[in-house]
Amino acid sequence: MRGLRHIFFAVLAGLLVFRAVLQAHELQPAYLELNQTGPDTFHVLWKVPARDDLQRGIRPQWPDNCRVTSDPIIAQAGNAYTERFTLSCPGGLEGRLIGIQGSMAALADVLVRLQRTDGTTQIARLTPSQRSFVVESAPDRWHQAATFFRLGLEHILMGVDHLLFVMGLLLIVKDRWMLLKTITAFTVAHSITLAVATFGYASAPLPPLNAAIALSILFLGPEIIRQQRGETSLTLRHPWVVAFAFGLLHGFGFASGLTSLGLSHAEIPAALLLFNVGVEAGQLFFVLVILLLERSFRLLEIRWQRWAEMLPAYTVGSLGVYWSLQRTIILIKGLL
Amino acid sequence: MSFSSKQKLAAAGVAVALALSPSAARAHLVTTGLGPVYDGIGHFMLSLDDVLPVIALALFAGLRGPAPGRHALFTLPLAWLAGGMTGLLAGNPPVFPITSFSFLVLGGLVAADLSLPSVVVTLLTILLGLMHGFLNGAAFRQAGSDALLELLGVMATLFVLVALFAALVLSLRRPWTRIVVRVAGSWIAATGLLLLGWSLHKTG
Repeated sequence: MRGLRHIFFAVLAGLLVFRAVLQAHELQPAYLELNQTGPDTFHVLWKVPARDDLQRGIRPQWPDNCRVTSDPIIAQAGNAYTERFTLSCPGGLEGRLIGIQGSMAALADVLVRLQRTDGTTQIARLTPSQRSFVVESAPDRWHQAATFFRLGLEHILMGVDHLLFVMGLLLIVKDRWMLLKTITAFTVAHSITLAVATFGYASAPLPPLNAAIALSILFLGPEIIRQQRGETSLTLRHPWVVAFAFGLLHGFGFASGLTSLGLSHAEIPAALLLFNVGVEAGQLFFVLVILLLERSFRLLEIRWQRWAEMLPAYTVGSLGVYWSLQRTIILIKGLL
Repeated sequence: MSFSSKQKLAAAGVAVALALSPSAARAHLVTTGLGPVYDGIGHFMLSLDDVLPVIALALFAGLRGPAPGRHALFTLPLAWLAGGMTGLLAGNPPVFPITSFSFLVLGGLVAADLSLPSVVVTLLTILLGLMHGFLNGAAFRQAGSDALLELLGVMATLFVLVALFAALVLSLRRPWTRIVVRVAGSWIAATGLLLLGWSLHKTG
């Protein structure tokens, strides 16, 4: 798998053009839940990540026939800011538009869940390009499934740190069998912790978790150098072990995209499955493109300069150091 | 009312020309919700008037061997960026049906499997990148989007597409497989003819 090193240029170029690359974006959408309590009344939960800009900069936008009829109960727990209140909508919500507004609406994702008294639910996802949705008279299950699948897919595609870790793993594996074991180990491990965290059996606070994920990337930098020098180590002999161990951490990271939504227990299995399928599809696509590019570079007989061969290891290591320091500082600031 | 096979073919041709019409492709830019880089990738992949000439170029470069393939791989994204930046600054896209000629010339070259020197392939690559990049840049300017990042997304896609298609042709060993590639080129050229006919019909 030495040839994989060469394609790092291409992937790095792709990763580096992300404006948020140094922040290694974690997808944490806001959450809007409407529980129907009567023909025209709804109990509302509005939940946003506890960031000043989001708390102030994004609000639900109700149809004209709706009025808030109770004082909001405000709470802040962990990483989330929540408001609960009652909404009255004479004539109901069917066919009406619910949206988001505010200065941050152009940047935020909001997952909306409408629970009706007949037990049916409608789930919608509001994005900067789709800031409102129409309340349906009957829920569309395919649309709901697609929402969670897309959420998972986006989580991995926007998770530059996760992709860089997978890229690092691809750089240290020596053959296809080892590649299969390593990617499978990573997949199994992050699926385990994703499920455990989503069901609420365990949780990892975000600041130390993000720091640990950064360390997992930093860890791979020296291993790539060792591999280039022809040296060996436990990681290089059994990369699947490292993939599994760090995969457990990354799974908690993926889970942040779902746990922050506060889904009900009944909804979790389907949401978890579809979210995970989305994550795996994105990861598989990434690995497939990398492998096809590696083959293409061989066929095109590209000979890279020595400095270009060394670049991947130093880039993985450097970004790992940067993120580790940045996230450790955030962690310490949070403790003080 | 029944249609003859010629009429059906003509109707299909017009439909293809309309689908590939650059003005339609430029009418709106893709919003993926994943940021401008992915928007650029999405815009490019859904603009067949950009994708098909790039594939034709990659196929032709692959037919000519590894060296022209390598040159196209590294030259095209840079030429596209240069064209895109010019388009961003210059503004309105030209009325001249550039894309039709890209289809015709590159598809025709693939179909003919013409033996051209590597430097000519590189020049063609630069021309394609500058012209289509210019159209992209002008479209991004009109849309008022985050153009530079979108162009970078397009560049990354170009790099991947050219690498994959040029390498695909290089991997073909049996003679008949090269004929399949040439047939694909003839289809692209034919589409170019339809597009040209359509734009002349519109302007005439």
